Amino acid sequence: MSDFDPRIIAFVCNWCSYAGADKAGGERLDYPANVKLIRVMCSGRVDPQFVLSAFRQGADGVMVLGCHPGDCHYRSGNVKAMKRMMLLEMLLRQFGIDAERLKLDWVAAGESEKFQRITKQMVEKVRELGPLSLDGYVKSEVA
Amino acid sequence: MSRPKKSAVFLCKCGPNIADFVDLEEVAGWAEKIDGVEMIETHNLFCSPDGMNAFREMLKGKSIDNVIVAACSPKMHEKTFQNLAGETGINMSRVQIANIREHCAWVTKDKTEATTKARALISAALCRAEHAEELEHRTMKVNTDILIIGGGVSGMEAALTAAQAGRKVYIVDREVSLGGTVIKTEEVAPNMECSPCMLAPRLSLVKDNPDIEVITNAEVTDILGFYGNFTAKIRKKARYVKDNCIGCEVCFAVCPVEIDSPFHLGMGKWKAVHTLFPGSVPAAAVIDRDACRHFVDQSCDECRKVCPFESIDFEQKDEDVEISVGAIVVATGFDQDDMSAYPRLGYGRIDNVFTLSEFERMASSNGPCSGEVRLKNGEKPGAVAVVHCAGSLMDDGIPYCSGICCLSAVKTGVLMRAQNPDVKVYNIHNDLVLDGPDRSRFFSKAKKEGTVFIKCRDTGTVSVSENNGRISVTADGLEPVDVDMVVLANGMRPSVGTRELAEMLNVEVDQDGFFKADHDMLNSTGASVDGIHLAGCAAGPCDIATSITRGRAAVGDAISRLMPGREIELEIMTACIDSEVCAGCKLCISVCPYKAITYDSEKQVCSVNEAICHGCGTCAATCASGAARAKHFTDEQIYAEIRGLFVS
Repeated sequence: MSDFDPRIIAFVCNWCSYAGADKAGGERLDYPANVKLIRVMCSGRVDPQFVLSAFRQGADGVMVLGCHPGDCHYRSGNVKAMKRMMLLEMLLRQFGIDAERLKLDWVAAGESEKFQRITKQMVEKVRELGPLSLDGYVKSEVA
Repeated sequence: MSRPKKSAVFLCKCGPNIADFVDLEEVAGWAEKIDGVEMIETHNLFCSPDGMNAFREMLKGKSIDNVIVAACSPKMHEKTFQNLAGETGINMSRVQIANIREHCAWVTKDKTEATTKARALISAALCRAEHAEELEHRTMKVNTDILIIGGGVSGMEAALTAAQAGRKVYIVDREVSLGGTVIKTEEVAPNMECSPCMLAPRLSLVKDNPDIEVITNAEVTDILGFYGNFTAKIRKKARYVKDNCIGCEVCFAVCPVEIDSPFHLGMGKWKAVHTLFPGSVPAAAVIDRDACRHFVDQSCDECRKVCPFESIDFEQKDEDVEISVGAIVVATGFDQDDMSAYPRLGYGRIDNVFTLSEFERMASSNGPCSGEVRLKNGEKPGAVAVVHCAGSLMDDGIPYCSGICCLSAVKTGVLMRAQNPDVKVYNIHNDLVLDGPDRSRFFSKAKKEGTVFIKCRDTGTVSVSENNGRISVTADGLEPVDVDMVVLANGMRPSVGTRELAEMLNVEVDQDGFFKADHDMLNSTGASVDGIHLAGCAAGPCDIATSITRGRAAVGDAISRLMPGREIELEIMTACIDSEVCAGCKLCISVCPYKAITYDSEKQVCSVNEAICHGCGTCAATCASGAARAKHFTDEQIYAEIRGLFVS
């Protein structure tokens, strides 16, 4: 599996995590090119369906990154994201998708190094897990 | 889709910043083959004056639907390119940025990988653009009047500042007249200036300003609406004295009922009919309904008989009024930490243990003992201990430093010696918070004049007990200090009712219960909701100067954002709810952080007030039926973006 190059989609909030990724760019902190970002205004905007859609469309791993608890630009969207992702993890397991393929974390606008670190870790983790394969009912009806 | 969309792709080299890391020629060649891509333009620096001109010229008269700018982060130039495209008639929603600099060129070492990633990001932007829906700038007419809740120094200065700019201002205070906490103090440190003298001219200015309406003995009962258009409901409690009362006090002499005076913190008396202090604003007296014999047993109407202006009106009723304003300044001040919560400090249990504010009231010439500080037995105290940090910096008390008690605690010795040069004053302290030249000098002077400063490593262990008719103050590692009087320098807590008011205003409070600033540094006088501003100690403990500065800053921000004749810009990317699809489950209401969603019980659907919505989109993520949509971040756009990342 060592040559497997996992495809990771990261949903990032506009105010903290997107800015943290921008800062990583400014500091030339490299991370695997197969990590690709989708901007949302708030991590609270991330509908669990977005995550499922990412898996369905070809992602091997999905990250949801928001502001640290207490720092949400919209007060508490990140806390709502956390609750949703906890439930979604249970659902993923029922679908036979390893819950470790979904990673929720907090990246502040200044945390460029953390952004680099967690994206690299995610790639390594998903590389260990191997490509996501959806079979049977999950492939046809759910994911 | 009525016809295939036509797209233009702009590739910015950003000098070498993108061009050296991404093969833009290859990207251009790839993009050319994509259906609907009508135009691909490359420039060395699209954000330069030349680049912007070129961008505009390239789009002119081309009937392009979607514009993809592959360049730096949207945080840098999304607006720039949206505006430029807008000049050629393209809606801002149709300009998509593919961030191939910060998220690609700068973070990918291998040029082939970076080029592949750039293609994916552009592909995602193209797919997303297919589902763009027009966005429009929206503005709203606003009310430019200001409501100030709390008429202490901060609220008054805020009112004067706004009135100076010609605004109509309402000050609402639950006290019977203005002045807040500061008016109860006589001399303020470090300059020992007389605070009533300082405030009297300001009170007069407030009273005489036709643009300021003072509503005292009143409480805000509800706040409706939003930034620019608030409606405040206010209950004016009956004073039983008409507004034409001039506060001449003729009735005080004949009133047979004496009660404890809250102005004197319970240490002095006033009559059932009283004013807060002579010369208060408003001047009108008030009758305490619970004490007045007219109300208790109808046995007295002496005040009515003697009033030279027929001002007494026993029939007066509470009155509810509604006012409309555009912004609200919260200047509700603070309350002193209740010392009876700490039995070891002896307050309320041992005679002659006072709080700092009680001591100051006693030392005031208009106070309960006419400025002569006396023990309960009427004698002059020969020795006084001042306990710093009483109840503060402790887990079971106030966990923070209020920052101003030390200054008043040092003042105690200065005031005592003015009455009795031989008095012994011991200040028992750990840290001394006396910053700046004036306060440092004040401390040195007090020390030189005789105040003994005793360092105590843990003020949390201070214990006050009776000792043969005197008072003994002990603490870990401290020789007992025997005195006649103890003054507890207590800290500041949020004023009573802060939480309820915060709820009414839909703003947050911080971990200590004070109103939470929108941002501690960038916007320390803004609350967490637009149009609500914070002044004085409502936002946390501060001194008088800071309180006034905060008041002026808060109202200055309010009035400069709400200008007569100018409409305010509303958030563009709000949420909206399709009433045809909405099932009325109200889940969205439960997650909206701004209470921007309301339920129409007649139509049984929810709707978004787009003047309040901030566009976070959490309602859209929650909505089970797909009725709630986050503009510019719709489900379709996100799904398309995901698809785009994989089809390149």
